[in-house]
Amino acid sequence: MPVEMLWLVIALPLLGALFLHFLGRRIGEPLSGWLASAAIGTSFLIALVAAFPFIEGGAHGETSLLWEWMPAIGASLEIQWDPLAALMTLVVTGVGSLIHVFAIGYMHGDERFGRFFTYLNLFAASMLTLVLAGNYAMLFLGWELVGLCSYLLIGFWYTRPSASAAAKKAFVVNRIGDFGFMIALMLVFTSFGTLSFAGVFERAPEILDTGTATAIGLLFLVGAAGKSAQVPLYVWLPDAMEGPTPVSALIHAATMVTAGVYVIARSAAIFDLAPAASTTVATIGAITALWAATIAIAQRDIKKVLAYSTVSQLGYMFLAVGSTAYVAGIFHLMTHAFFKALLFLGAGAVIHAMADEQDMHKMGGLLKRMPTTAITMGIATLAIAGIPPLAGFWSKDEILASVFERGGWFSVLFVVGLITALLTAFYMTRQWVLVFLGEPRWEEGADPHKAPRVMSVPLIVLAVLSVVGGLINTPFRLTLEHFLEPVWEGISIQHPPEGIGMFLILGGLSVFAGLVGVAAAYMTYRRPMESWRSFEDGFEPLWGAWEDAYRVDDIYGRTLVAPGRKAAEVSAFGIDLPVIDGAVNGVAAVFTDLGRRLRPLQTGYVCNYAALLLAGGLVVVAWILAGGL
Amino acid sequence: MILTPEVSWLAILPDLVLALGAAAVLLVEVQWHPVTRVLAWVAGGSIAIAAGITVLQWLAASDAVAAGDLGSLTAFSGMILMDGFAIFGRLALLATTALGVAAGWQFFKDLGRRGAEGLALVLLATTGFSIMVASNNLVMLFLGLEVGSIALYVLAGLTREDRKADEAAIKYFLMGSFASAIFIYGVALMYAGTRQLTILGLGDFLSGFIVSSPGVILIGIGLIVVGLGFKVSAAPFHTWAPDVYQGAPAGIVGYMAGVAKIAGFAAISRILLTAVDDFEASFLPAIAGIAVLSMLLGSVLALVQSDVRRMLAYSGVAHAGFIMTGVVGTSTDGILFYLLAYAIQLVGAFAVVAAVSGSSGSGSALSEYRGLSRRSPVLAGSLTVLLLGMAGLPLTSGFVAKFGVFADAWFNGYEWLVIVAVLASVIAFAFYLRIIVIMYMEDDESALIEVPGVVRLVLGIAVVATLVWGIIPSSLLDVVADALPL
Repeated sequence: MPVEMLWLVIALPLLGALFLHFLGRRIGEPLSGWLASAAIGTSFLIALVAAFPFIEGGAHGETSLLWEWMPAIGASLEIQWDPLAALMTLVVTGVGSLIHVFAIGYMHGDERFGRFFTYLNLFAASMLTLVLAGNYAMLFLGWELVGLCSYLLIGFWYTRPSASAAAKKAFVVNRIGDFGFMIALMLVFTSFGTLSFAGVFERAPEILDTGTATAIGLLFLVGAAGKSAQVPLYVWLPDAMEGPTPVSALIHAATMVTAGVYVIARSAAIFDLAPAASTTVATIGAITALWAATIAIAQRDIKKVLAYSTVSQLGYMFLAVGSTAYVAGIFHLMTHAFFKALLFLGAGAVIHAMADEQDMHKMGGLLKRMPTTAITMGIATLAIAGIPPLAGFWSKDEILASVFERGGWFSVLFVVGLITALLTAFYMTRQWVLVFLGEPRWEEGADPHKAPRVMSVPLIVLAVLSVVGGLINTPFRLTLEHFLEPVWEGISIQHPPEGIGMFLILGGLSVFAGLVGVAAAYMTYRRPMESWRSFEDGFEPLWGAWEDAYRVDDIYGRTLVAPGRKAAEVSAFGIDLPVIDGAVNGVAAVFTDLGRRLRPLQTGYVCNYAALLLAGGLVVVAWILAGGL
Repeated sequence: MILTPEVSWLAILPDLVLALGAAAVLLVEVQWHPVTRVLAWVAGGSIAIAAGITVLQWLAASDAVAAGDLGSLTAFSGMILMDGFAIFGRLALLATTALGVAAGWQFFKDLGRRGAEGLALVLLATTGFSIMVASNNLVMLFLGLEVGSIALYVLAGLTREDRKADEAAIKYFLMGSFASAIFIYGVALMYAGTRQLTILGLGDFLSGFIVSSPGVILIGIGLIVVGLGFKVSAAPFHTWAPDVYQGAPAGIVGYMAGVAKIAGFAAISRILLTAVDDFEASFLPAIAGIAVLSMLLGSVLALVQSDVRRMLAYSGVAHAGFIMTGVVGTSTDGILFYLLAYAIQLVGAFAVVAAVSGSSGSGSALSEYRGLSRRSPVLAGSLTVLLLGMAGLPLTSGFVAKFGVFADAWFNGYEWLVIVAVLASVIAFAFYLRIIVIMYMEDDESALIEVPGVVRLVLGIAVVATLVWGIIPSSLLDVVADALPL
């Protein structure tokens, strides 16, 4: 598959979206869902064929210019196909296809079934634009488009006030991040005179001084923190769970939210020159990982647990790329896409079965009713908890080992990461036990039923990936590392320590943390409800704070939103109306008045015209003469 | 010894075809008195043939440039130039003419038997301007200028019954003669100072010799700028424009203004940037001055007009200032892009004016546009796109055009001029928006307006060009980048 054909990868879901936009209603359910799945599935196959040269090794990245929009600033539609882009494309299209198929079952009966797949395909096309971009302008195009799709899909059930509010929140918080991102792009452009990756990365060492590189890096971090839900801009992601569950799985777990990680890994050449920015990225990542993990412990809503867990895992990825362990970060991005998509889809199946119940206190004992979902989600839980040999173990261990190897300040971050690993194992096991074991605590009339085949098959595929997905990069066989090697040629990147001894020690530590978490949660939550309720109460007032997510929304509301609203009111009615509008109207009035005064120039008499022509001509001639003599 | 002149018919074939077309229109009318449609086919056919030949010339010129054979880009012993700049200018003129004739179709039809005169005059005007953009010799250039201008004077007064049109034609003629005299005097002084009459000769002479007392040459440059500045309605030589735009038949004003701007600016750019470019330091400040005055005066005065045609006239003054900014930027491709984009928008806008208030009458009060969006969505929608294009909104050709000339001026060290230009664009935005607001926000119960198919076609082309060149600028930028003067 030549690189010139890769535009098809973007074009297919885009065409799917266009087609469904106009004909989705007519062709109806479930055909429109299958069409959308076929579009993205074909993209996956194309990407797979095109990725073969990299898998065989020795192939170099290529770019293919589709269309020069503004060549002067390096803004064009230009596909860059290198191992990093290939991996991201495979994750987006692969996991995306499974989620598309799952959604056919999940969205069954929704009156806007066709519209849902329009958005889903549009999202896929946007995300692929982002990861295949060969310059920052096209990347930004994708960046904004995925934001738009996210907004549309969070608010998909727009008749629910909470859904519209969540969509609005996501939009506003993301704008803050985008603002930083845009300034970063302007800095890149003023420094390099181009936005193309090739132009920027090759010349970065000679052009950027540490100050500029740090500024660009930190501004990229602002953008990435918005999109990838890092402290302090993570607040939109938990609310984004108002969207349909397949959306949560695809956009708010597996793909879009990893865009920030991708941008930082892609811009490694810039971060290479700005160690301070990298360290900040790692620190923010570690803080986010721990912060969100504590909140996840106390959530009752099955999707909220997963939402905070996603924030926490994204923190891990930031920790990795901030420690310049780019391979580890991307590796975790991939494995996380597998097991988190699986967890969300499983949660979706549960919610579906429980007739839209999301409170875990009202679940329990579902193992017998829906064994496939229970077992696949169990696998995902063990994977995210870091139990070997499942996928999460290998990627998380590689991150922690690499961070440990950095030493210094990073040793502190390593400890934070280790504690987070324990908490992760705890809250994920808590969730699984609460949902699937114990006595049924269902509301009256609940009749949980098995998920249809169209939903369970994607679960099984993802479960298999969650088991074996980590094996592509183990200390015994560094396939992924060799695969990604050409991407960061000439950039110093952090590796885990050498030698099987260190691996056993560090791996043992993280496995121990994981096992402790799993065991503690299992022991606690397997018992009857009163028992674990009193266990939770024992942690008051900490537990309450966690359950309320530290009341960050309240604090933001009081400190930022309310004053902001006040400021908006003041500026609208206090300043804008009298001052700005006054100024604008004033300026307009001045010019209009000036125009009226100038009008008599236009007398209509030819003599006056001729005189003006002559006088003007004399002035011009005199001016030119004066300039030359 | 008998010298035979070097004759290369191919070089002037498009002009010959146009001139013959004009003659044919008149002869056919005299002989057969056919319906106007037949005459229009004759005129349209000659424009199409001329355009086809010009495209072939373009291809031949690109091949010659690629082969390094610059000698084949001149003809008639160096009198006529066939470089990319000339050929692109000619193509732009032909495109404007084709759209102009189509937009003025109703006007020609209403003229009855005199429609033939109108069509012939249009073809002759284009012939003159076409020779003008291709001339290497300043006297030749003047000839083309006069052929074109005189045809335009007559066109302005073609509806003899309309007093306003008569007034416009007389004013245009008197002032135009005045400006032509100033121009030819400037040419005479150039010759006096250098013994050179050709543009290429002037360029070689001035870069080869140090002129000890350049006063005569500088005055010559100044007079040439004044003469051509009049043709493109740059301030303070613009006074004729509002009267003519308002008085001349609406169906044909867009064409008149468009071709005059293209030919005038082509001549200004060629003379200033290739012949006397060694004096850039002397004349660029004055050109910048003209640019500032045109942009500000045009925008401010456009703001207070209550007649759409006068408003478009003043906006034309402002556009002359913006294009002058491109001259200050000393890069011809930005100017060419601007000229073509603007000329097409202008023809389209006047096609709407003609459809709203009749093709041959004069005047066009702003109040007639009230609620146009309901009376004719096609007219209102197209005019909106065209006005936004003139205003320079992103994703229209106007934005790319303005961006181009501003960037050129900026990189040529005239940052202050660009700041003034941006300010003027902001003021200009106000009056374009005013028309749009009136069309969409105010109600009017007047009758629906029928839009003839040919006008729809013109508007469709103008709108598509405005959008396509705005969204895919490279489609035109790549072409103008090759349209370089020798």
